Amino acid sequence: MSTSSVDEIPDQSKDLFTQDGVLLKNCVGRPVTDLNSIGMLCIVQNADGTKCVEWRPNDLITIDSDTQDQEWAVVNTVGRRQRTLSGNMTSDYATLRARIIKIPLEELKTFKVTRNNQQMQFSTKQGVWQTTFYFQHGNAEIFVAYLKNHVKTAKTRHDRNTYVVVEPNVESQVLNRSFAELDIFTENTTDVVWNLVSNFKQRPYETTLEAFSKLTDIVYYGNEGLNGKRDVSEEVADLLTKSMSAMEDATTITKNEEYEVVSVKPTLPPRPCIPRGTPLSTEKWDALQDKDGRITEVEGVKQLIFRGGVAHSIRQSVWKHLLDYYPWQMSHSEIRAHQKKKTEEYFSMKLQWRSMTEGQESRFSEYRDRKSLVEKDVNRTDRTHPFYAGDNNPNLVVLQDILMTYVMYNFDLGYVQGMSDILAPLLLLLGNEVDSFWCFVGFMEKIASNFDMDQAGMKHQLLQLQQLLMFASPDLAQHLAQKDSGNMYFCFRWLLVWFKREFSHIDIMRLWEVLWTGLPCANFHLLICVAILDAEKDVLISKDYGFTEILKHVNDLSMSLDVDRILSTAEGIYHQIVSAPHLNDQIRIILGMEPLNMANSAHSGNSDRQEAGTSRTQTNGNETRTNGNEHTGPFGQDIDEVMYQIGLDMNF
Amino acid sequence: MATNRSGAAQRPNGAPQTKVCQFKLVLLGESAVGKSSLVLRFVKGQFHEYQESTIGAAFLTQTVCLDDTTVKFEIWDTAGQERYHSLAPMYYRGAQAAIVVYDITNQDTFGRAKNWVKELQRQASPSIVIALAGNKSDLAAKRMVEFEEAQAYADENGLLFMETSAKTAMNVNDIFLAIANKLPKSEGAGAAGAGGARRLADGEQPRPSSCCK
Repeated sequence: MSTSSVDEIPDQSKDLFTQDGVLLKNCVGRPVTDLNSIGMLCIVQNADGTKCVEWRPNDLITIDSDTQDQEWAVVNTVGRRQRTLSGNMTSDYATLRARIIKIPLEELKTFKVTRNNQQMQFSTKQGVWQTTFYFQHGNAEIFVAYLKNHVKTAKTRHDRNTYVVVEPNVESQVLNRSFAELDIFTENTTDVVWNLVSNFKQRPYETTLEAFSKLTDIVYYGNEGLNGKRDVSEEVADLLTKSMSAMEDATTITKNEEYEVVSVKPTLPPRPCIPRGTPLSTEKWDALQDKDGRITEVEGVKQLIFRGGVAHSIRQSVWKHLLDYYPWQMSHSEIRAHQKKKTEEYFSMKLQWRSMTEGQESRFSEYRDRKSLVEKDVNRTDRTHPFYAGDNNPNLVVLQDILMTYVMYNFDLGYVQGMSDILAPLLLLLGNEVDSFWCFVGFMEKIASNFDMDQAGMKHQLLQLQQLLMFASPDLAQHLAQKDSGNMYFCFRWLLVWFKREFSHIDIMRLWEVLWTGLPCANFHLLICVAILDAEKDVLISKDYGFTEILKHVNDLSMSLDVDRILSTAEGIYHQIVSAPHLNDQIRIILGMEPLNMANSAHSGNSDRQEAGTSRTQTNGNETRTNGNEHTGPFGQDIDEVMYQIGLDMNF
Repeated sequence: MATNRSGAAQRPNGAPQTKVCQFKLVLLGESAVGKSSLVLRFVKGQFHEYQESTIGAAFLTQTVCLDDTTVKFEIWDTAGQERYHSLAPMYYRGAQAAIVVYDITNQDTFGRAKNWVKELQRQASPSIVIALAGNKSDLAAKRMVEFEEAQAYADENGLLFMETSAKTAMNVNDIFLAIANKLPKSEGAGAAGAGGARRLADGEQPRPSSCCK
């Protein structure tokens, strides 16, 4: 994905958050043909740093044969993440752009959510609701939560659902400065205009229920809970919008009651109960290898492991394959040669740091820093386990040596807290320094982005998790969003070290080996999160926990989770999701499935746009990305900033 | 000591209705200086020699009783490694108190503590009460940061300062108590804390008797 041509587009805006499945219900000045069109409601940051709420009809981001060039042009102008393309894209720039509804945040005066989170209205003038959107997912509160990150709001006295935008205050500016790398508030506002224009063509559309969200910026929450009556201005606004619509077309549906007709919330099919299988046994493992020790039925082996894990007695050999240390199809003799080579390679890297003199070290601060980090953590990793317990435990030295050698193997990534947790169970099982190192390398390949300097990989996963939860357990997702926990930050530890702190050693081995198979889908570890959360749903909701209590509750689940039950539940949820009639591309992409919209064009268009937003992640090893530092593609930073900034979304 | 909500009602000595104030406190400092250990000592009276590193954040509460007030601390314990620095504002935002911890046997951690203090002064609530804790005072034989140096720095910057030992419990309760004493508990003064008013307003319920609004 190259950025070059995109960079040449004059108006380089980016989507901070997008919500699909949003119908335009009312808009002052719009022809009636525009109404009831489905589209995407976005929070967009313009090239000059200003932001707006933007609604784009779906057909603008779908390829249409007779207006293909125009469509492409639009796609490019509305979001630089969408795709890279060449050719003339500026010809009808102004016309096309006019088909989008933009509400600059600096002009936004009020907005409100009504009809049980299904409807959202905006106004740039006090007392007149100029634009109304209908959320098919009934999740307008999510949009509000994200919008509140960009504007400071207060609720009106009369109506708890109405938000009045107030001026940004000093504290948010201070916070902004503290994240200078975001560099999003540096320029003056010039560009934004709210186009209330009328050359928009309604087109047939496919109903896709997609919600992928991107967000940057500082978060601000208004005060909760002021009950009150319906604002007079709202009544006025309703009347106005009704009359406007009536003028244009008497048949337009604008009465709120009518919305109920289309407001059936999609539900998942029942969750199948899928029992776990028995672990891959020694006999079966032997039988799976040919006489030379090659394993050809790799997928079959992985299926077995996914179903039941691996018998402890053969974990040592199976893990080396699962973690890509031993290629599956190597014969015994090839493996011996391979092992010899890898051993030499390991020790040559180890020698690099072992042979460093004190003088060298004293002039090599980056190395010194990494070494010090390793020492600090090794000393306190799993010390309650007999294998690592006691003073002067030799296994700690091995742990240290492996991690130091890994620093030389990948100096840029270096050592990050959490890595010792990843390594400890490997060394515990394998007992061998070289094997443990290479298996650790294999594991790190799968999760290196967890350790990104800018936390990009973590933020991306937390975002995907939120999206999956919204699909699989919308009640809970909505509750969490209301409790300032839509950022899913409380799952940080789970994801960073793949639940290592949540399970005993024996259970984490089972969980990891299942996850390493990459089955039944990409990002199954996120479904593990969903499964755990789903089991806690009643508690989390009924106790009305806030952000802090949620974090505490989730942290306190450690060592009380049943790994087999969770695996079974997660698989059940997987089947629910993939058999749901409303399964959308956003979710498909997270789970590593081909997006349906691919049909429109081979590698591009709508699907590419989504891919940009959602699929760029490690997928249980199904992807080739090797280093989290590659996380900075043309689309990378935005999405990464999303959770980073949601991270600030704590209403203390 | 009661660690749960509504501290006033649960005071073990049966003291009648006192003011209950709730404060958010965050622990900051370089990796492995003993942040979690200080919290664990304060909240649970425990000490683990090889306390595991904190991933993400931990949240604990503890209530302390002053003469006429019960102070409930909501304590955020954070991961110390620089890699996780970007998450820190999430924790100190809205905090009324912070303990910046360093390790007296490690000069670098003292430098890092100073940076944390600077960051808090610049970006946290202006009324935040900051305490500097020179931890691992039981390892005085390996001392690299002089008491006087830290005390002078604390004085210059208006910080509470104590050398502590999570291992021996020395000064652990004391530093929290000193913070509790310093925190504004009258209605007027309490409002100065940026996040305070709101935090209490939508904090745990049922909300105890009102003070520190």
